[in-house]
Amino acid sequence: MKIHLKMLGSQRDAIVRDLLRPHEHAAERVGFVSCRFGNSESSLMVLAHTFHPVLDENYEFDPGVGARMNSGAIRSALQVALSNDVGMFHVHLHDHRGLPGPSGVDWTEWQKFVPNFWHVRPQLPHGALILSRDRLSGWCWYPKRQQPIPIERFSIVGRGMQSWRAVK
Amino acid sequence: MSWQERQSFLGSDSETVLKEKRVLIAGVGGGGSQIGQELAHIGIGHFVLCDFDHYEDKNHNRTVGGTFEDIRKRTLKVQIAKRLILAVNPKADVVTVEDRWQTALPKVRDCDAAFSCVDSYMQRDQLENLCRRYHIPYLDVGMDVHQIENGYALQGQVILSMPGGLCLRCFNFIRPELLELEAQKYGDAGGRPQVIWPNGILASTAVGLFMELVTPWHSGSFAKSVVYDYDGNRHTTTLSPRVAALANTTCEHFSHLDDLGDPFWAPLSETASAKAPRKVGLSASVQRLRAFLNGRR
Repeated sequence: MKIHLKMLGSQRDAIVRDLLRPHEHAAERVGFVSCRFGNSESSLMVLAHTFHPVLDENYEFDPGVGARMNSGAIRSALQVALSNDVGMFHVHLHDHRGLPGPSGVDWTEWQKFVPNFWHVRPQLPHGALILSRDRLSGWCWYPKRQQPIPIERFSIVGRGMQSWRAVK
Repeated sequence: MSWQERQSFLGSDSETVLKEKRVLIAGVGGGGSQIGQELAHIGIGHFVLCDFDHYEDKNHNRTVGGTFEDIRKRTLKVQIAKRLILAVNPKADVVTVEDRWQTALPKVRDCDAAFSCVDSYMQRDQLENLCRRYHIPYLDVGMDVHQIENGYALQGQVILSMPGGLCLRCFNFIRPELLELEAQKYGDAGGRPQVIWPNGILASTAVGLFMELVTPWHSGSFAKSVVYDYDGNRHTTTLSPRVAALANTTCEHFSHLDDLGDPFWAPLSETASAKAPRKVGLSASVQRLRAFLNGRR
C-alpha cells in the first residue's frame, strides 16, 4: 500500500513554530495532527486538518528521557479522535534540515500509544510524523495491520509546493 | 544542454520538480488547449485531460492544435490536446478521460493542481469542492463576450483558489442565484461567443500563477487565493479589488472537517485498489454513512 500525506504549507509552518516554543522543563514539544483520508488511484491520501499541541501541564519528568507527555495528553488526543471522527498522528520536530528518522525511543513510545487510538476509532488509520526544518517523514498504523507502514510520499501545499518521496 | 536551460532561474532542481508534477486540465477547448501546450513546453511530466466533446468547426477559431482533418473526423478534444502535448514533449505521461472529470475521480485526486476550463458555474463549483477535499490548488479560467451600448465587451477572469484560502464563493464568483439561473437554462445555453486571444492571455496568467506556486522565482511569490480580472477592451489584466477587500477574512465555505477527504472513507482491503471501489469496504461505508446521517439529525 502506498500512502501520500498532504499538508498545507501554512499548517506546517504553524506546527514548526509551535514545536519550537521553549517549555519550562521539556526539551522538546510534541502534538497531534488530526487527519481525514481519501483513496486515489495510486494511494491512500492522508489529509492533515488541525494541529493539536500538547498543553504545557501535560508534560511530566521522566528519568529515562528527561520529559514526556503524560496520560492527560493521550486522553485529550483520544477525545479529539472520538469526537471528530479523525485519525490522529503524533508529531514532533527534529531540528535539522533533511529527511528526519526516528530514534529508538520514538519507536518504543509510538508502539505503546499509537495503537490505542484504535480503541476509539478502530476503522481509521493513525500514526506518527517527524518534522525537520524542511522535510517530514512518517508512519501509518493502518486498520487490521499490526506493523506500521512507512508513508511514501509527502506534499506540502503552498508556496514552493514541495513534494518528496521518503521511500524509494 | 537541456531544452529547459532558459528557465533555469526557476530553480536548480526545477526540471525534476516540474517533471514530477501531475496536473488536471478539465476542459481542453479554447483555454485548456493553450494551458496544455504551455505546460508541455515548461516540462510538466504528467497530465490528466478530461473532456467529452468532439472537435467541430465551431471550435476551430480558438482551439490550439485542432485541424480541419479533426473537424472532418470529429476527433475527441482530449486526443487533440494529447497529440499537441506529446508533440512538444514525447516523454510526457498523458492520461485522457473522454468524459466529464467526475467519471475519473481517483485520477483527479492524484493531481497536484487542477486547471478548470469548464463552461458552467455548477461544474466550477463541483471541481473546486473536490479540490478542497484533497488539498489541490484550483485555477479557474473563463471569459465572456457581452453586448454593450456601443459594441461588445470582452471580459474574463483567472482565479487561484488555494486550499485553506478564500474560495470562489468568498470572491462572489459563485453565487446561489447564478447556479439557480444556470439550472433553469440548462440545455438552452447556446453557443457563447469565444475568441482565441483572450483565451491565450487568461491561460498564460493561470500558468504563471501555477508556476509561482511550484517554482517561486522571487521573494514576493505568494500562495494565497487571488482573482485577476481581464478587460479585453482595454487589454489589461489586473488584480481584482476583491482580493484587497477580503484580505483579512477567512473562508467559511470549506472550513469544516467534513469538507476534507472522502465523505465516507473506509479502509481498502489488502488486495483492493481505488479502481474497484465497489468490491471493498461496502459494509463499513454503509455504517459510516448511517453514523453520519444520525449525527446530522
